[in-house]
Amino acid sequence: MKEILAPKGICFFAYNNDQLDYVMMALTAGKYAKKNLQLPICLITDEGSSNWLEESQPKDVIDKVFDYIVITNDTMKKNNRRHYDSPWTTFAAQFNNSNKHKIYKYSPFEQTLLLDIDYIVKTDALLKYFDGDYPLCMFDNALTLRNELPAHQERFLYDAGIKMWWSTVVYFDRSEFSEMFFNTWAHVADNYEFYQYLYNFPSKLFRTDYCVSIAVHILNGMQDAESQIGNFDNTSLVNMSQKDDIIETKNENEWIFIAHDQKEHWKSILVKVSNQDIHVMNKRALSREIEAGGI
Amino acid sequence: MDERLEKALDFSNYALTINKQKRNIRNRVAQLQIVHHLGGVFIANHETIAFIKTLIDLKHKNSVVIDSKNNPITVKSLPQLLEKLVDAYTSATTEFDIENEKLKKARNIKKIMDW
Repeated sequence: MKEILAPKGICFFAYNNDQLDYVMMALTAGKYAKKNLQLPICLITDEGSSNWLEESQPKDVIDKVFDYIVITNDTMKKNNRRHYDSPWTTFAAQFNNSNKHKIYKYSPFEQTLLLDIDYIVKTDALLKYFDGDYPLCMFDNALTLRNELPAHQERFLYDAGIKMWWSTVVYFDRSEFSEMFFNTWAHVADNYEFYQYLYNFPSKLFRTDYCVSIAVHILNGMQDAESQIGNFDNTSLVNMSQKDDIIETKNENEWIFIAHDQKEHWKSILVKVSNQDIHVMNKRALSREIEAGGI
Repeated sequence: MDERLEKALDFSNYALTINKQKRNIRNRVAQLQIVHHLGGVFIANHETIAFIKTLIDLKHKNSVVIDSKNNPITVKSLPQLLEKLVDAYTSATTEFDIENEKLKKARNIKKIMDW
């Protein structure tokens, strides 16, 4: 474990690939998180991505957002992910996420909120969990921008499978239970093919959501029951799908999206989101908006 | 076996046991909340207690009250029913609290079983 440098804080993992500038998105997500949660921020990245961050972004902005930068040297699993940018455009890129369970080791905080770089914090709603009773919290349900349930495969690991928990936002403390959770996650990640056979989830992508869902299932006594793992008071993770797009960011808070219909993609509606934390899954859309200076 | 899995499975058994035990307590509490009165079955919960108290506050001495089986029961003395409900509620919640505190402190299966 790293030396504890602060009691509470936020961590982001960001490893660039040849398609997406994760550190740039982490800088933006960090800016929002810092503004709305007022906590120190730690970026966990590799040397190449860190160098690119320093080269591509002004030093004062980096220093203002990131209080700590942890450089890792983990070997990542080959993990080719197919991304959408609207229903009509796709691209593939290596997704470096196989060391996410090591957050317990890398975080410099006593209590940590681990956020994905596409999770934009626009409220202080997550703050209260630092003072809550649960040693660990994650979302176990999600909604689309249209306030609909996501596709079945985003809710369960397979048709008759266990409930999916999301690793997008993970709050944890330094309790024995949290350590056991991350060790179980690591075990599932190390034996991914075996658990894929056992839990029957889709095979193509290494998904940390599957790892955490299985770890929760094991630690809950293999049942869907109350446990030591909180679900942010049953609130929903609000997902902007990769097939949705950002139309306009009126200001830092008010964003207008075009939200597609899951069954008939061409039937889209406009959705305005403000005062709402949001998981912007279309990373190309997020990148475009950052580069255009909209956010 | 992978030590990480072994620990997780140990905890898994503990979680399973404690959850069953919690359910047993809740079942016991639910039973303690049942009040039989003049052939009717009432549940001593916030809703029933508040409703009967409201009738009393509105100067009703007796009333027809729908019980938990959806039958109309002519309650001749509302204060008497209220007293029974509050007694049942208090003994149920007191027992709930005692058992719950015991479970909170039980960090392994042996402790849950009181061995």
